[in-house]
Amino acid sequence: MPPMRIRLDPWPVDIEGGQLGLQRFEGDLIDIETPRWAAVAAKPVPERLHTVHVVDGKRRMESRVFIEDEAGEAGMGGFGAYVVGAVRMCPHGSRPAELTDVRARRLLAHAPGLRVDPYRLSPRDPHTGTLQYTPIVTESADPLAPLHKLQQVMLAEEQNLSHGLASQVPFSEEDDREALTSLTIQDGTLRSKNLGGAVVGCVKTMQTQYLPADRASLLSELRPGERTPILHMKYANSPYTRFIWYVRLCEAAFYQHPMSGVMRLEMYAPDDSDFLPPIVREVANVSGHLLCRLASRAHKDPRAPQNLIPTAALESAMTRAMGSADLVTRRLRAHIARELGVVA
Amino acid sequence: MTFGEGGERLGRVLGTEDVTPTVFWFAVAPGASVGLDDLVVVRTLKPDGREVRFYGLVDNVRKRHEGVTFESDVEDVVAGVLPASVSYAARVLVTRVDPEHFIPPQPGDEVRRAHGADLDMALSADKMKEAAFPAGLLADGQPLPLNFRFVNGESGGHINISGISGVATKTSYALFLLHSIFRSGVMDRVARAGGGHTAGTAGGKAIIFNVKGEDLLFLDQPNGRVQEREAEAQAAKGLSADRYTLMGLPMSPFRDAQFLAPPRPGASNNAIVPHTDQRAQGVTPFVFTLREFCERRMLPYVFSDAGGSLNIGFVIGNIEEKLFKLAQTQASAGAGLGVTDWKVEESSNIPENIDFSDVGAVNIQTFDQLISYLEYKLLDENEGLGDKRWVLGQTQGTLRAFVRRLRGVQKHLSPLVRGDLSEAQARQYRPNLLGGTQLSVVDIHNLSGPAQMFVVGVLLREVFEHKEKYGRQNTVFVVLDELNKYAPRDEGSPIKDVLLEIAERGRSLGIILIGAQQTASEVERRIVSNAAIRVVGRLDLAEAERPEYRFLPQSFRARAGILQPGTMLVSQPDVPNPVLVNYPFPAWATRRDEVAEEVGQSVEEVGEDWLGY
Repeated sequence: MPPMRIRLDPWPVDIEGGQLGLQRFEGDLIDIETPRWAAVAAKPVPERLHTVHVVDGKRRMESRVFIEDEAGEAGMGGFGAYVVGAVRMCPHGSRPAELTDVRARRLLAHAPGLRVDPYRLSPRDPHTGTLQYTPIVTESADPLAPLHKLQQVMLAEEQNLSHGLASQVPFSEEDDREALTSLTIQDGTLRSKNLGGAVVGCVKTMQTQYLPADRASLLSELRPGERTPILHMKYANSPYTRFIWYVRLCEAAFYQHPMSGVMRLEMYAPDDSDFLPPIVREVANVSGHLLCRLASRAHKDPRAPQNLIPTAALESAMTRAMGSADLVTRRLRAHIARELGVVA
Repeated sequence: MTFGEGGERLGRVLGTEDVTPTVFWFAVAPGASVGLDDLVVVRTLKPDGREVRFYGLVDNVRKRHEGVTFESDVEDVVAGVLPASVSYAARVLVTRVDPEHFIPPQPGDEVRRAHGADLDMALSADKMKEAAFPAGLLADGQPLPLNFRFVNGESGGHINISGISGVATKTSYALFLLHSIFRSGVMDRVARAGGGHTAGTAGGKAIIFNVKGEDLLFLDQPNGRVQEREAEAQAAKGLSADRYTLMGLPMSPFRDAQFLAPPRPGASNNAIVPHTDQRAQGVTPFVFTLREFCERRMLPYVFSDAGGSLNIGFVIGNIEEKLFKLAQTQASAGAGLGVTDWKVEESSNIPENIDFSDVGAVNIQTFDQLISYLEYKLLDENEGLGDKRWVLGQTQGTLRAFVRRLRGVQKHLSPLVRGDLSEAQARQYRPNLLGGTQLSVVDIHNLSGPAQMFVVGVLLREVFEHKEKYGRQNTVFVVLDELNKYAPRDEGSPIKDVLLEIAERGRSLGIILIGAQQTASEVERRIVSNAAIRVVGRLDLAEAERPEYRFLPQSFRARAGILQPGTMLVSQPDVPNPVLVNYPFPAWATRRDEVAEEVGQSVEEVGEDWLGY
């Protein structure tokens, strides 16, 4: 009987769930690339793939509000802000990486049945700009509905951005016009239905163990840059299908659990489970090289290596774009005070 | 003029650093290039709608990656993995606020390059009007105006230049300033504006002491390399014309100059020929007669490096008085000194070639003889007790020390102080600094230390006394390098007294000291502090931290360590911060081989000139 072994999860303890969760997966998993379950070496990034976008989104609820409209109706709502943005970079390192489309948008989400006008906060100091809140109706009067609405809008924007920036993926064997020239790396799992772009989702944590026990051991054996074969995955109770594979970004330290440098990647898949679009295979092939370059280091990022360098930069740029939460809250309060004629 | 006309937009005032009325940072806009010494203007609006303008100069610029946390992130940024922007910011030292409402500018206010009227405001040229003359070129090729009223003694006077030897080229800059003063017409403009109380350029005189090499003996000769060097500088700095043209100065050597040099010691037949190696033609030798030596009380300047004890000072004063009286009693004309009370045979040191004119009367003709006479009067006469009226109760030790010192400098001063001249010779070789030419170069580099001190002391005192008598009508500029030698901080000397007089009272008499030294910290404080215009070239960094340089802001002190030749930091009372200027290559030759070859000069003539016939 082997001795008991304990090894560490590399992520900080205050991140819920840690990097490893290992719940059982209830769904279908099909070998679509090859039945041979072994590590696949990374291939170099082809010249024609000239642009990689890293896309992420972020949201923040700024204030919960109680709204009384002119007709006397009342309900709950919330001031919120969200940002989606991208880092545009060259996978060959020939251009500096740059931030694009990082702009905060502000919403005043409110319960249905209210008449709400756009809300505009003018600053006292003309140098600091105005804040514009667009009204948007939530699905229910639930107190959490504004937050959910905000999240929904953000995710939708994120999807639009991701797919707008990427090459199209042809989903039939005849269609080979489209080559992989532009790839989008989206932070987190793919949440919506397939929109047709070459978008790869990077799932940082392993909350669910998709692989059966006899295959999971390959994850520990992968060397940096290597990947598993591509699998076709379908959740038991979800209509969305996707391709998944695992990539190792860095060696695990001896004291960490052996899957600590491993990341799961996802791409949208057509429903029929016998066609692997060549672009998907190409993305999988280059993903090792690409992600090893983008992987962060433990001393710079607590969620290293899975939280990619451009993602971290994007996150901080997005936080900055939303402005200081304290200042926004104070502006809201001062604005309301002025509207009510209270001398602040 | 509306704001910003012509002035390129450079960026906006930063809100992440403190904004104060005297110092602020601004973020440089993409595409703009801002360097140290750029002059900028910022307009801000007060809540009542009134405008305040801040003029200043950039004294610090920095770039850094913005939005990245780790220093090693630079690798990822360059590899194209990590997005980052370069933040480019510049710090402005405000030189002027107009109107004088010392509010801070607002973060976000536009910063523009100062041009035209804004530039004049930034450098206070609007206050100077006709008194402005060019003191070099700013970084962007515009001339820096200097206020002549702070040079000529009207509001202030004197110029002091500090810098390491060789690199700072203090003398070059002093000469450039002289050229600018004489040739820009500023003296005439100021004289006119002042109703003719001063004489203008025509009355202006300059006396330059040449202490190093024969650098200054060719000031009246065109420099053969100036065209080429100025063309190079114009191309390198991207200027629209050569630097002389930009400043409105002629690219020509000094005019109306005389060159004085001490006589060569030990020349045959006691002939008086100038002691110069590279230039012989056009150099006038100068000597003092023994009679003048006594009559004009030059004795103290012989001991100028001595500091000395009180007792010796007393002896010097006493002997000076005795020699003065003696010179007063001379009946006959001539350069020598006739004495009747010298029983030569009783002297312990009997000099050669003594001229016995009458029975018992001796005509002293050399410095050596003068010392022997003094030795006789102090130590030999009266069987070793000396002449009571000369000794005045001083101990033998003091008297011997006095004579020993005289003997010590005898060799150095003998060629300079002579009694064997005819009256015509004495007139011919008497240094005449204020009479004839505009520019007098006194070459003392071949003299030994004590002789240099003697010459400088005697000549400066003469100039001072002359000006005391005739007033400030004509401005006299005295250029003197190595002030730390002539007016050291810690010791007293007669020449230091003269320099102090010039520093403190000279400006009201129209004597302007353009002094230079390696280290201002070693020069008498009152001389440096009396200079209205202060100039700093390359400094030793330890020296730059001394209190004498507190007028430089910290960033300038640090920069003083890296200044290149031809670049100076100029501080003037009108502008609260020093300004960096570069000045052109001299249009006058500073060495024999720089002299432009005269067209049409025959080979023989050139050869003769070279060989110094």
